Amino acid sequence: MASLFVIRGIDQGTRFELDEPAVCLGRDSSNRVQLHDTEVSRQHAEIVQVESTFTLSDLSSSNGTFVNGQRVERHRLVSGDQIQVGSTLMLYTGPSEESEEELAEKVNIASPRATDDQSHIVHSVSQQEGSRLFEVQPAALPTSWLARARANLQVLYRAALAVSHTLDIDQLLPRIMELIFESVEADRGCIMLVDPDTKRLVPKVRRTRQGVRTDEKITISKTILDYVLEKNEGVLTTDARDDQRWNPAASILQQGIREAICVPMQGRYEVVGVIYIDTSSTPQEVIQKGGAAKFSEDHLKLMIAVAHQAALAVEDTRYYSAMVQAERLAAVGQTIATVSHHIKNILQGIRGGSYLIEMGLKEHDESLVRKGWGIVEKNQNKISSLVMDMLTFSKEREPDLGSAELNRVVDDVVELMQSRAVEEEVTLSWQPAEAMPTLVFDAEGVHRAVLNVVTNAIDAAGGGTRPGRVDVRTEYAPDEGKVRVVVEDTGPGISPEQIETLFSPFASTKKSRGTGLGLPVTQKIIQEHGGQVLVQSALGEGSRFSLELPAVLPGTVPHALAR
Amino acid sequence: MERGVEGRFEGFLAGQGGPAAKATEENTLFSEPSVLIVDRSPETREVLKTALERRGCRILAASRAGRGLELAREHHPDLIVLGLEEASPEAEEVCMPLAAESEASHTPLVVLGSCRRRRRRSALAHGEFVSKPYHYGPLIRRIEELLCSTGRALARSA
Repeated sequence: MASLFVIRGIDQGTRFELDEPAVCLGRDSSNRVQLHDTEVSRQHAEIVQVESTFTLSDLSSSNGTFVNGQRVERHRLVSGDQIQVGSTLMLYTGPSEESEEELAEKVNIASPRATDDQSHIVHSVSQQEGSRLFEVQPAALPTSWLARARANLQVLYRAALAVSHTLDIDQLLPRIMELIFESVEADRGCIMLVDPDTKRLVPKVRRTRQGVRTDEKITISKTILDYVLEKNEGVLTTDARDDQRWNPAASILQQGIREAICVPMQGRYEVVGVIYIDTSSTPQEVIQKGGAAKFSEDHLKLMIAVAHQAALAVEDTRYYSAMVQAERLAAVGQTIATVSHHIKNILQGIRGGSYLIEMGLKEHDESLVRKGWGIVEKNQNKISSLVMDMLTFSKEREPDLGSAELNRVVDDVVELMQSRAVEEEVTLSWQPAEAMPTLVFDAEGVHRAVLNVVTNAIDAAGGGTRPGRVDVRTEYAPDEGKVRVVVEDTGPGISPEQIETLFSPFASTKKSRGTGLGLPVTQKIIQEHGGQVLVQSALGEGSRFSLELPAVLPGTVPHALAR
Repeated sequence: MERGVEGRFEGFLAGQGGPAAKATEENTLFSEPSVLIVDRSPETREVLKTALERRGCRILAASRAGRGLELAREHHPDLIVLGLEEASPEAEEVCMPLAAESEASHTPLVVLGSCRRRRRRSALAHGEFVSKPYHYGPLIRRIEELLCSTGRALARSA
């Protein structure tokens, strides 16, 4: 399913699915994609789907529609495109080309015995070896051009490596600067990034070669910076005039020459900053070198390439942190929405009960008051459950261990669930293991864990048109050192995709009567005991949940708190 | 508390003009209005049933829209109360046939909750929306008003 994910802007964290053939974007509430951005027009743009092609069209908006930094009227969307309208930035993800199942069929991992493949490993090279690809072997250099080219490639490769090793821009930029200083004879250098909010250049790294005066401010001509940013071109400057270069009496012999290179950091989408380096040659050096410049066009090209690598890294970290922030907001939003939903339903229940109580008091009908009170009480328990589940889930807690009877704990759960089972037209059966010893575990925790699973089972079994069954039993396996509580239901079963998110909090809001935290809480409690929750299910075949716990006999664990 | 047929008359439409006369399968006339309640929450069904029965209504109840549709077609209620499960788009889908049935038979429809998808909203356009969480007092009064207006309409055509 194609979608837009807002990574920057007021609606950050919102995901819009493009589930209609024509989807409108704008400030108006009639838009499928409604953005609360004052810089967005009321009907700003639309995305039209024709077969598998999604086309974005600007609807004569005031401030324009931009894709990957370029203003567009019409644009065929590709996964990864960044759409900007007003100050809102959205990431477009297209429908997946091939489903995971299709891909799984096309790629096969075969064991050696299964194939006729005769190939065997001839060479293996580690990652570190790979980075020495461009190491210079002094003996094997035919021309200085080749040597230079090789050196340049080495620099680039190391820049790429530096980029891949860290997502932290504050660490990366100094490293890039270091790399530059090693390869180019620069005296001073600095890297400046464009601030995304103010759009002004902010220096991030400044470096001076050892031995060079450090107190001098690096002054960069604004004209040059503007030129570099606007034209997106790297420039090499020198303050020596060409005609003076060969004149021994010229001012360069008094002051020396200052040369500079300033290159734009061009990323995928935009220029994110500049890299500046300069060098001074004293009159003596000028004479020594016969007037030759230190910075050549070659250096300029290298710098542009390195700057590009650095820019990609800057974009990645910015993008990455925007994504993380957006995802976090989305998760918080989801949690708040789900919790509000549950509380709203509980409130509705309480209102119902109160209404009956009021009616009963007015008409002096005690049976009504009793009925109403029953409803209020039930909802009190629901609130309690919701809060307990949320607390259990959020806290790092140690189980409250003590000696207890597992069969009795599960028996209590079954009894509590009887009325609900009857309501859902579900037969609830309970088969305790015959030889279940007294064990050490957190009775209240396990009670809650089993309760949640049985609740789900009853809801699942009661879903269909036929009456359902839920079978609960306990098992003791002394040879494995484990006990199990097994809950089987005749519900619709769980698909493989759903199994993946089964234990994620609020993953499924289908069960509006549950809290959405039931299974995650169960898993947490069981895992705290050192156990595990196993699920066996297939669509149309019901489900089996096994809560497995290590069978800890009292007295065997010295530090267990026996009550 | 036992209530006879007289009690049911008094509770609701006494002195209001001709009550709606409906024929059932057994061909006997029941003068009290019938209300179909379709809602997944047993509490909602319980409260509405108790309140409306005390006001002289006959109550049909279902927890699922499918069963609700069957009851609607069989018993032709005078009003339908349909509770929407807001978190579940599939549940909304399932309510559509019942909504269509109420529109076709000109049966007043009270929808508890809100519909997120615009397309479906139009299918329920003939209904009255009551957003959750609601207070039962005003809801019951509104249901009574709607039943009254239907009753009058039917009395006119009879």
